[in-house]
Parts: sequence; structure tokens; C-alpha cells
Amino acid sequence: MGKQKFTDNFSAVFGDQNFFKKQKRIALKNCGLIDPENIDDYIYANGYTALATVLTEMTPDDVIKTVKDSGLRGRGGAGFPTGIKWEAAAKQENDEKFVVCNADEGDPGAFMDRSIIEGDPHAIVEGMAIGAYAVGASKGVVYLRAEYPLAIKRLQKAIEDARKENFLGNNILSSNFSFDMEIRLGAGAFVCGEETALMNSIEGKRGMPRTRPPFPAVSGLFGKPTLLNNVETWANISSIIVNGADWFSSIGVNKSKGTKVFALAGKITNTGLAEIPMGMTLREIIYDVGGGIPNGKKFKAVQTGGPSGGCLTESMLETTIDYESLTKAGSIMGSGGMIIIDETSCMVNIAKFFLEFTQSESCGKCVPCREGIKRMLEILTRITDGEGQTGDIEKLEDLGNMIKKASLCGLGQSAPNPVLSTIKNFREEYEEHVEKKMCRSLVCEKLLTYTINDKCIGCSACRRSCPVGAIVGLPKEPHIIHQELCIKCGKCYRSCKFHAIDKTSIAKEQK
Amino acid sequence: MATPLSVLEEKRKQAKSMLEKKGYFSDIRVYVGMATCEIAAGSVPVMEVFKNELKNEKNVYISQKGCAGRCNLEPTVEIYQKDKKPVKYIQVTPEKAKEIIKKHIKNGEIITEWVGK
Repeated sequence: MGKQKFTDNFSAVFGDQNFFKKQKRIALKNCGLIDPENIDDYIYANGYTALATVLTEMTPDDVIKTVKDSGLRGRGGAGFPTGIKWEAAAKQENDEKFVVCNADEGDPGAFMDRSIIEGDPHAIVEGMAIGAYAVGASKGVVYLRAEYPLAIKRLQKAIEDARKENFLGNNILSSNFSFDMEIRLGAGAFVCGEETALMNSIEGKRGMPRTRPPFPAVSGLFGKPTLLNNVETWANISSIIVNGADWFSSIGVNKSKGTKVFALAGKITNTGLAEIPMGMTLREIIYDVGGGIPNGKKFKAVQTGGPSGGCLTESMLETTIDYESLTKAGSIMGSGGMIIIDETSCMVNIAKFFLEFTQSESCGKCVPCREGIKRMLEILTRITDGEGQTGDIEKLEDLGNMIKKASLCGLGQSAPNPVLSTIKNFREEYEEHVEKKMCRSLVCEKLLTYTINDKCIGCSACRRSCPVGAIVGLPKEPHIIHQELCIKCGKCYRSCKFHAIDKTSIAKEQK
Repeated sequence: MATPLSVLEEKRKQAKSMLEKKGYFSDIRVYVGMATCEIAAGSVPVMEVFKNELKNEKNVYISQKGCAGRCNLEPTVEIYQKDKKPVKYIQVTPEKAKEIIKKHIKNGEIITEWVGK
């Protein structure tokens, strides 16, 4: 097929050697190459071959065996072997089963799922139809967040077009298999990305997790056996069927096969989406694919896995990208968010940012998450405000480990990770905040001191900008800042055109 | 008896002829990025320029595409020409789009300084 050959080597199409050369596109194979709103484009680019092959030549058991042999694991973050999930759902005897696609992408800075649905919606339709055939389901639901209007529109059109062409509906492609699907919109709660909370939400209940077991494969949506996978997992299925399990398992390392899409964000030259084969090192993805850190700044940390993940340091850049190695290093694979942090960011503040997020997204059902995270956030806020007390760091560790063990769902079990991993890898920054009341990255406002140096020409710009009248000085004479009045808003610093104001954070030993 | 694969084969032929009718196999194909990220970067007015200025060109096929993952270079526009290596223009504005039409599409002259490396 005319276009299919491009997908083997994106850099041949786009030039852009550095960015695309080390990538391997499977889930994103059509993204950026076809018109997502034209089913003819997808069919012409070899689309629906996998579904037709499955319906013609394979039994449901064959399909499950292929997925199992491929070594594909859940791309939503947890990394559970997909084939085993399929097998468990297939084994259940029930007159009604569901397949569900989790497209409730909530990690800050991550947009893999949105791009796949917007760029190649039929891949999801095809993947889910194959999954439904394998487990014996006749109904599919895509749980998609309402914040993605274009993705909703394109997926809706894809479903309607697929229905018209009989890729969905009764007796698909004149076989005995019937399957149809619909979209359900989520209202943007982070916890609804957790599989049991997601199903509650589809059922019209509050988006709160249920206890497991029973697992969704046994009792899922409306109490029926349910096969639930992430967008990226579904997007891999058709390629695995067409190219075979051996092809897929030849990519990647150890127990992590295939590729993973990452959303590169933060202080990196090439922000964007990159699909890389498992087993690549963090250094390769950050410096080769991502192009390194811009503006001559120094690399400080890389955060993977969003609010559930951890921060890794420069010494860990040789870690390979696979589920086990990242976990061992103290982070997680997660759904694919990768935030690069340079020396201008304060690690305590970053931990606080993620905790603010999980705290406001906690559903409140279980105590460790509802109360524990709130307390952790209070301690962190205190530390960044310069009111940290000796013992706070240990208290954070204690609380964090407890919340991890005792929370009901993945949100609570992983929420302390950003704090615990930054304490582990950047403990000295925490100690500086607590003991010396200083922030070396000059981020935590209350720990800063603004002073005027001898470059001051007395233009009075700072004096006029100060909202509390803390700056005094006669025109054309050096000004001074009264520290006891200063609220550290930084307005004077930004108003000065002569680099006459210094922003520092000085260790306060005596306190 | 018709198998799903043979049914699909029929559909693929139909898809090809549908694409042919729409001009997909023209000498030049222009793809404008139209995912949420590209639209946010300003690809809608770029698309309008291509559509308006090229509406009477019989041998040019204009299509939207999803996101290829190059956030910091968006909006991107790709031009596929028969038997030539595709060209990707980055950070395209409506003004650049007009130049691309004038020089590249109508005169075959690639504007190298706007092409992604």
C-alpha cells in the first residue's frame, strides 16, 4: 500500500532525522499521515485488515494467544499483561460482556491518547472490535473526557462511518460476529481514569473506585464481565494481528515489548510526542529524540508517570525505559507523561504541585487518601513557606508510605510518589528549605530576599511598582528595600531595567 | 462464499476509487495539521489559505492530518509530490502559506529555510 511503507521510517518522510530516527511508530503509525475524518484514507492505508483477518482466519482463542505471545502490556500505566486480561474476560460465561476503552487522560502535560484519537480514530474502533470478538462481547464503550471536543467529534464520525461500512453493527463483513460501540463522556475527574471508578461513572454513579476483587474481567460494567484497556493498548492491537506476535515481541526488552508513546514536556528542546521502542535509555530520549535542555541550562531531573510517578536524577539517565527498570529506579512507566526539569525548578515546589493536583482530585472515599494527602500537602506548604520544622521530612516519609499501603485505589497508592522520590533523590533541597529556610532554585517566594545593588540609577521604577511601599529613595539616588515590609512579590525585580535588583535566597542558620 | 477478507478487498477497491474521485492521486498532495494542538498553534487560517488559493487547481489534493508529535514546530504542512521526497514546512503562517503556494506548488521551488531539518 502506498502509504504503509512510510510508517516503517518516519524520518524518510519528514526529514527531521534527530527527532524521528530513533522512534518506532506502532500506536502512532497513521498519526500525521492520514486524514482522520476520512474512512477511505484508513482503509486504503491497510486499515481494517486486522479485523477482517481475525474474522476470516482466527478463532477467539487464536486472537488471545497472539496477544498473549506478543507480550503487550497495558499502556495506561500499570503494565498488566494484556493477553492475560483478555483471557480472563473470555473465560467468563455470561450472556452479555463489554469492552471498554479508557480515554480519560488526566495526567498534567500528557496528551498521547488525544493525539491517537484525533489522528487515527479508526485504529481504536478496529482494536476494540477485535477485542470484542476475542472475549465474546457485543457492546463497546469509549470513556472519553469532555475536554477533548475534537477527539469526540472525530471518534464519533469514525464510529458512524464504520457502521455504514459494516465494520460495526450486525454480521460484520458478512461474518457471524456482531458488535457496536458508543462514546460516554467523562467530566474530567482524574480518578475516573481508575478502571473501577470509570465504570461507576459510565453507570451514572459517582466516580469512585470499587474494591477489587472482583476484577472487571469478572464483574465490571453493570456487573458484567468487562475487558478494559487504554487507548494506546487498543491502538497496538491491529498491528500485532497483521504483523504477528513474533514481530511485536522482537521489539523491546525483557518483559517489556513493543513501544511506548511519551509526551515530552517541560524544559526540553523538542516538546512533543515520541513513540520509542522499549529499552531505550532515558538519556537517549531526552538528549537524542528530545534534543536536550534549551537555553544552556543544566538538567536536574526527569519526571515520568505524572502525579503517580517519580523524579529521576542525572545519575539515573542510563535507566532503560521498561516497566521494571523504571519501577526499580523509583518512578513508574505511567501513561506516558515525561516532564523534564532543569536547574531553575525547585524540587520541593514540584512535589507540592503534584500533591496539590492529587489532593484536589482525591474522591474522598477512603481515609488514607482523603486525609493523608491533605496533611502531606500542609506540611509541604509549610516547608515552602519557610516554616518547616525539624522532623517534617521524616513525617512526610512516614505518611507517604502509609498512604501508599492503605489507600483503596491507584490514585492514593501512587499519590505520595512525587514526594517520596524527590525526598529520596533531592533530600538536601528539602533539608535546606527546612533547616536553612532557603531555596537554591529561587522559586519558593517566601524564602527569597530582594535587595538593590550599586547598579541602581535611581529611576524609581521599582518604587512605583511596589504594592506595599517597601522601597524608598530619592530620584537619581540609589534606592533601598525595607525587608520587614517586603512581601516578596517580585514586581520590583521585573520592573528594573538595569539589573539593579538581586533575587537571592540566603541561608538563615540561626533560626 | 464471501469471507470478511474478500469483503474488505472489495471495500478497499471502492475506497481507492472514492479517493481517486476526490483527487487523491493528484501530482501534489498538501497535508495541513489539524489536531487540537495544531489548531491552537494557528493551522485553521493556514488551511483556509490553501483551500481558497488552490480551489481551481485540478492537480492538487488538500487534506487535513492528525498530529505527528512535533509540538514546538506547529503548525506543520507537508507536501507530497509524485516521485519526490515529501517536504515538511514548519511553523507555517497564512503569509508563509501564500509563498509556499506561489513558489513550491506552482513553480516547484522548495523554500528551504522554512523546511524542518
